Amino acid sequence: MALIELQDVSKLYGFGDATTLALDEVNLTIEKGEFVAVMGPSGCGKSTLMNIIGLLDRPSHGKYRLQAKSVETLRPNQSAKLRRDTIGFIFQSYNLVPRLNVLDNVALPLMYKGVNVTNRIKQASAMLERVGIQEREYFMPNQLSGGQLQCAAIARALINNPKLIVADEPTGNLDSESSRLVMELLADIHKNGNTVIFVTHNPELTRYATRVVYMHDGSIIHDEKTVIGRVASTAKKVAEKSLTSDEEHLLAGVSTMMKTFPTKDSESKTKSRKKPLKGKKKS
Amino acid sequence: MNEYTRGNFKAGFKTLLSTKLRSFWTMLGIIIGVASVITVIGIGSGIKQQVSHQIQHLGRDVIVIRPGELHGSTGLDALSGLNVSGALSSKDVNVVKNVDGVSSVAPISISVAKITRDKIPYNNNLLIGTNGDLPGLLNQSIAYGSFFTYEDEGSKAAVLGDKVAKRIFDEELPLGRTFYYNGQEFIVRGILNEMNTTPLTEQADFNDAIFIQDQVAQELSKNTAPIYQILARPEDPKQYKAVAEKIQNSLYKSHGYQNNFKVITGGKDYDSNGTVLSLLTQMIAGVASISLLVGGVGIMNVMYVSVAERLHEIGIRRAIGATNKQIVSQFVTEASIISLVGGVLGVILAFFINILLRIFSDLKPVMSIELIVLAIFISIIIGIIFGSFPAIKAARKNPIDALRS
Repeated sequence: MALIELQDVSKLYGFGDATTLALDEVNLTIEKGEFVAVMGPSGCGKSTLMNIIGLLDRPSHGKYRLQAKSVETLRPNQSAKLRRDTIGFIFQSYNLVPRLNVLDNVALPLMYKGVNVTNRIKQASAMLERVGIQEREYFMPNQLSGGQLQCAAIARALINNPKLIVADEPTGNLDSESSRLVMELLADIHKNGNTVIFVTHNPELTRYATRVVYMHDGSIIHDEKTVIGRVASTAKKVAEKSLTSDEEHLLAGVSTMMKTFPTKDSESKTKSRKKPLKGKKKS
Repeated sequence: MNEYTRGNFKAGFKTLLSTKLRSFWTMLGIIIGVASVITVIGIGSGIKQQVSHQIQHLGRDVIVIRPGELHGSTGLDALSGLNVSGALSSKDVNVVKNVDGVSSVAPISISVAKITRDKIPYNNNLLIGTNGDLPGLLNQSIAYGSFFTYEDEGSKAAVLGDKVAKRIFDEELPLGRTFYYNGQEFIVRGILNEMNTTPLTEQADFNDAIFIQDQVAQELSKNTAPIYQILARPEDPKQYKAVAEKIQNSLYKSHGYQNNFKVITGGKDYDSNGTVLSLLTQMIAGVASISLLVGGVGIMNVMYVSVAERLHEIGIRRAIGATNKQIVSQFVTEASIISLVGGVLGVILAFFINILLRIFSDLKPVMSIELIVLAIFISIIIGIIFGSFPAIKAARKNPIDALRS
C-alpha cells in the first residue's frame, strides 16, 4: 500500500486570464519508507506539490490519497488533525512562532493534541536533545542561528512521531555545515522507518535520498531511484554541466538548470504555457 | 479548565504584556464602562439605602393616622392655611390611646407661627404640637435637656429642633432661655439631635421646628392648628395589622361612622419612592452600559488588527495541526483577558470614585459584591462576544494563505 498516491493532480492559481498552472496533472506514488528528493528550477511547482502533499493546500483537480484514504473530502478540522498526527512539515524559513521560546514552539503540536504541560515539556525537551540544541531550549527564536532554528523546526515536526516528513527546501537558507546537520537529522529520521520528502536545489544532497524526482513547469519530468551515498546520476549531470558552463550561465544559474535538465517532450508544452504568462505581465 | 485553555491563558497574558500600551487603550472603553455602571448603580442603591434607613428611623411598626382629605397639602403655607380641613382632633388621640394593644400615641399638629425672642420677631416658624411619646415613636434622641413628658401637661415647655436653636438663639445651648408665642412665654427644655430624615412630610423640616405640647398649641391657636397626623405604635410589633384594624374601627365609631380619615400602615409612601428610584437607576445604568458596549466594539477592532498582524502566526499554528476551534479559542481567550483585566481595573476605578464621592459629596454609593461580580462577568462576556468575530475570521483562513502573508 502506497503512503502517497497523487493521480492527475493539478493546481491552478488565479482566475480567468490571470490563471497560472502551478501543477499540471502530476502523477506520483510514494511508498512507505522512501526518502525522496524533489529537484527542479524555481517556480516549477515543487512547493505547491509539497503544500498539497502536506495538506496545507488542496489540489484544483485530481485525486490525492494519503494512507489509501482520499483527502479531498476532508473537512478543515479533519485535515488539521491529520497534519498534526501524521505529517511533519519543515519550512525553508523555519516558521517558528516568534513570541514563544524554542521549547514552547516544539511543544505546540502536543498542546493542540491535548497533552498536559508536564508531559509536553518533557517530550519537547527530549526531542530538542535529539536534534542537538537542548541547551538552547529557553531561547527565543530571534536569538538562534539559522541552523539551530531549523533544528528546532525539525524537532517540532517530529514531536508527534509523524509517518511522513515533508520538507520544503529545509537547507535553502543554511550554510553547508548546518545543511549537513539538518540532512543528517532527516537521514536519521528516515532510518527509523519514516517517509521523508524534501525539496532541494543542491545536487549534492541527493546523496541522502533513495529516489530523486525532477520537476519542470508543473510536471514531473524524471524520476529515478538512487543508492544512498551516491549523487543521483541526473543530478550529477546537472551539477557538472553547471560547473562547465560559460560565465553568462553562471550568473543566471536558473537558466543553466533549465538548459541542462533532461527534456521529455516538454519543449512544446513549455512554450505554449509561457504565452499566457507574458500576456498577464503586459496587462 | 483543561490543558489547552490554560495554555491559551498564559499565551494571552503574554500577548497582553507585550503590547501593554495598545492593550491599555483597548481596555479603556471597558474600564470606563464598568466603572460608570458600578458607580451609577452604587449611587442608586446608596440613595435607596438612605431612604430605607429613614423608614427604619420612623419605625416599620408605626401606624400613621391621617385625615381623609387634606386639601392643598402642598407647601408649608398650605398647611397653615384655612383650606386644611382637619378631620382629626385631640379627642381622636385619646380614642387611639384607649385601643387595646397600643403602647404609645403622639399627635402631630402643625402651625406656622411668629415668635419673638428678646423683642426680636422671627416669622414663619414651624410649630409642632405633640406629646411626650414622639421621641420614642420617631426613634429620635435628645442632644441636650429632655423632652416634655405627660406630667408636664399644660406647661409652657418647648423643645427645639437642631437648626432652630442655632437660628433663633445666639448661643449653641439655649437651654433655659425663653421666647414668646401668642403672648405666652415658653422656656426651652431640650434640644433634639439632628434628624437625618424628614420623616413625616416632604415639606416640613423637623430640624427647623419648635415642639410644644399639643394641648397648649391647640389652646393658643384657638383650635386652628390641624392635627396633621397621629402616630401610634402597637405593644407587639407582630400584632401590627390587627392593632391598625382596631384603631380603624374605633375611630370609625367615634367619627360617627364617617370614613374621613386614613390609617396608613407600613411606610407605603416610601416604597413608591423606592420604585421610582430603582427605575431611574436602571435607566442611567442602561445608558452607562452603552459605554460598555462601545468598549466591546473597541476590543473587536483591536482583535481584527491583531488577527491581521498575526496572520502568519495563525498560518504556522494551522500548519502544525491547530483546528479551527483551537485558533478561535486562542483569540477569544485573548479578547476575554483584555476585557477581564479591563473589568477588574474598572472596578478599582469605581472604588476610587466611590471614595471620592463619599468624601466630597453627600452621596454614599454602595458597592456590593454581587454588583462587582456581575460587572466583571459581563465584561468577560463582552470580550467573548466581540472577540469571536475576529477569531472566527482568523480560523477560516486557508493555512497556506495565512502562511504566505
